[in-house]
Parts: sequence; C-alpha cells; structure tokens
Amino acid sequence: MNLFTQPAPGRTAQRAPPLCVSGVDKRLHGVHVLRDVSLSVGSGEFVALLGASGAGKTTLLRCVAGLDSIDSGTIEVAGVPVAALRRRARRQVAVIFQRFNLVQRLSALDNVLAGRLGHVRTWRGITRRFERADRLLALESLERVGLLDYAVRRVDTLSGGQQQRVAIARALAQQPDLIVADEPVASLDPGSGGEILALLRRCCGEQGVAVLCSLHQVGWAQQFADRVVGLAQGATVIDVPASAFDDRHAQRLYARTAGKEPSTEQT
Amino acid sequence: MKPPPSSAPMGTVGSAAAAALAALEAKHGRFVRRLRLGATLAAIAAFYAVCFSLAHVDPARLVTGLPKLAGWLVQAWPPRVDELPLIIQRTAETVAMAAVGTTAAALLALPAALFASRNLTPLPALYYPVRWFLNMLRGIDSFVFALLFVAAVGLGPFAGVLGIAFHTWGSAAKLFADHLENADLAAYDAVRTTGAGRFTSIAYAVLPDVLPVFASTALFWLEFNIRASTVLGVVGAGGIGQELKNSMDLLDFNRLFTIIAVILVVVTTLDQISGWLRRKLV
Repeated sequence: MNLFTQPAPGRTAQRAPPLCVSGVDKRLHGVHVLRDVSLSVGSGEFVALLGASGAGKTTLLRCVAGLDSIDSGTIEVAGVPVAALRRRARRQVAVIFQRFNLVQRLSALDNVLAGRLGHVRTWRGITRRFERADRLLALESLERVGLLDYAVRRVDTLSGGQQQRVAIARALAQQPDLIVADEPVASLDPGSGGEILALLRRCCGEQGVAVLCSLHQVGWAQQFADRVVGLAQGATVIDVPASAFDDRHAQRLYARTAGKEPSTEQT
Repeated sequence: MKPPPSSAPMGTVGSAAAAALAALEAKHGRFVRRLRLGATLAAIAAFYAVCFSLAHVDPARLVTGLPKLAGWLVQAWPPRVDELPLIIQRTAETVAMAAVGTTAAALLALPAALFASRNLTPLPALYYPVRWFLNMLRGIDSFVFALLFVAAVGLGPFAGVLGIAFHTWGSAAKLFADHLENADLAAYDAVRTTGAGRFTSIAYAVLPDVLPVFASTALFWLEFNIRASTVLGVVGAGGIGQELKNSMDLLDFNRLFTIIAVILVVVTTLDQISGWLRRKLV
C-alpha cells in the first residue's frame, strides 16, 4: 500500500493554485521590506526565490508559512488566505528551515512523525503514540529520502545533510499542498546541498507538491527550479522560467547599488 | 565602514598603541587608585565589625564551651544501639517525607514553570504574578512552612511533607522556568507549522530536550530535602529530628551519637546514589 498516491478526500483536480501571492506589502521596524510582491506557484511546480541578502526572501517565506503577518495584499494557499489557516489547517504548508529545526533528542522516525501532528488526535501527539498507518507513512517518507536504515537513530547523531533529509521527510509526511524552504542548503557543503535539492525536487514532483525555495546559488536555481522569481529591495523584479534566467537577470539581482557600498566585487 | 582619518601608515603602527596605553594609565593616577582601594577595605572592615557585634561573636565562650563538647563526646561512647530499629524507622520516615514532598513539588512545578517562562507561557499576563508567587514560595523555607503546617494539620510527618513540597515547588519551578527560557525553540517553531497545537508542540519539541535537565534538578532537590528534613522533627513535623531533639533535651549523648551516625550514613549514601544518577542523566 502506498499512502502517497491515495488522493485525500475532498481534493479535486480543478482548484486554486497551491500558492498565490498578490500585492503584498509589509513593513518591519519602519523598513518597507516587501513592496507589492506578487507570484504564484502551480501544482507540482518548483520555484526558486533569488535575491541579495536583505532583499526580503526570508520575510516573504515567513509570511507564506504563516509565521509573520502581512500589512496588505493577499497570500492564498489553495485558494484560502494564509491568515485563515489556523491550528490544524496550518499543515497545508510545510516548512523546511536552514538549520533543520529537528528535535535533537528524538529519533529520526519520531521527528518525521511530527509531520503527522496536524492529522492525528491531540492525545496521540502528546504521548507520541501514533497509529500504524501514520508510522508506515513516516517510514515511507524516510525511505524516500534514503534514511530508512536510520529511522531509530537519534537525529543529533546524524550529519547535517542527513538531518535536512529528515526535515524533508517530516515535510512530506505532513502531506502539504506547498513546501516552503528557506535557504535549505545554506548550512550544508556543496555536495550534500546539490543532493538535497535534487531530492526535494524529485519527492515533490512525485507527489505533486508545490515548492517555493529560496536559494543563494544561481546555478542551483537554474539546475533544479522550473521557474525563478527574483526579489530586489522587497519587490518582485524577475519572474521567468529557469531556462530563461541568464547573467543579465543575475546582474539585476546582485549588482550593488552604485555608491552605496563600494566594493571590489563590482567587476 | 570608513577607517578613522588619523589612521597611521604601516610603519608607525606601534606609536599610536603606545599613546593609547599612556592615556589609559593617565586616566586613573596612582593616588586615586590607592584611595579607592583604601575606601573599599575600610567599608569591608566596617561591615564585618557590625556583623560580629550583631551576632554576638565571642571566642572566649567557644574556648570554654569546646571542652564541654569534648566531654560529652567521651561520655557518648559507647553509642546506645538498643533503640536502633526505632532510629532507623524514624530515618526512613525522614527520607519518605523528602521523597513524597519533592515528587509532589516537581509535578506541581512543571505547569507553574510553563506559565513562568516568558517564551512559552500561554498567558503572558500571568507571567509576573506567577513569578511573584513562586518567589514567595521560594523565600519561605521548608522549616517555616512545616511550622505553619504543624499548626494547621497537626504534628507528624505529613506536616513535613507539605513544608518540603511548598518550598521546593517554588524553587524547582524557578529553575525549570529558567531552563525553558534558555531552550532552543527552533524545533518548537517547526512543529507548530505542522498544524500541532501549542501544548502538543511543547510536549513534542521542547520536553524531550529539557526533561533530562528537569530530572537532574529534581534529584538535586531530593538530595537537598533529605538533608533539610532531618531537622524538621524539631518543630514537630516528624522524622528523625524529633528523636534528635528528645535526646538532646534529656542530655542522652549515647543515643544522640547513634542518631547522628545513622543520619550521616544515610545522607551520604543517598547523596552518592543521586549524584551518580544525575551524572548519567546529563
């Protein structure tokens, strides 16, 4: 039995895109961090979010994940405003963090089972007594990320790359409409970074989960993403298919504003 | 960042540093430093002078008293062992009081600590009231609580259990809350995004990380309370302290000697066991 291919009840083919952001503005401590941001992510689509440090990538992702609120505009997940995704409904958006954010003293399996908390009864979550189907789903998720053999290992004994795989398995076990990943490979070495992105792309493609993933490396965005959205000073300035993203676009995103910060990088 | 305009060229780097050192030295002259040292020493001396007089410290009385103590010690040999079963039973009572009181306190401290930790409290408005309440419990010693409870629930070990429980509740909850406030909430944030509620997320993502420290803290309080509860009998709150006071009142030094020996053995043994457990936990 493969639980991943079972269509969840009530889900139909024709519905709103997994993510639709339009006209979003946000100020943080008096700074206009997001200006009229609009983008959308289709079902099963992998969208890379690029931009220099401070361009607003993390803020945008936190707003999409419901961790921060917006001042104006709309963010809709499968047609429902993010602000309305309270409590259990939050499971529709899974988050992958730069620093993995796993419970260090729990096993890989228990960490993946955390992805089921939005689905199971509260007492089962608190006592960590999950039903067989949930445990099977969690183990299948671990198998997908290639860590089935590490299921009972405490995650603080795993490497960074392995920990991020556990985090991906947790997100998959959550059976979300959308996965939001904030610099998921920034604290990994280049080798495991590439593997993680390939894995994220493959797993989400198989399950038709949409991915919005911020990255620092233009090369990886071109290699793994379907589409690239570029942020500069809080505004969406680029929204092109990954194949069309070229040096001109990169220049637009990463060129320093003249006179603001003179540096030798300007070549 | 622009370098300061007066930055020296490479060749003369040492001279600016030497000038800075000279400026630092010139700031507090030798005279000022000596004056400050003298004032500090005078203040400390005055403080102890006042304390000695308030505490009636009188070495002459110690000199006359010590031989008395030595005489009792000689009289106390051989220790009286005919009442050993009673003494052991009373000591067991003392340990039981500490165990029940500490356990109750640790269980009460868990929810209290949650409300007393700024980062996790479900009701921020209650943060300060809860902290004040815990500080009040902590400020009143188990001995004083036991005194009150003897009046309220009558003589016997139960009054001691209540005394220990209330004081330890406040003390342990404060330590638990400090651990919670220092906990890394990255995993908690992540678990919240899976759709889990606040309490589920705390139980799932925070408790596994802090539980070993909590258990270690509780064991520390158990050790402390076993030692502290040996005297609770003095106010009538049960345990070996009662026998200790009786023997002293009757100047029965042979019996007193036995009691102190039993207390020493039991307290040292339990300290060792608890210490070993704590080392295994963290």
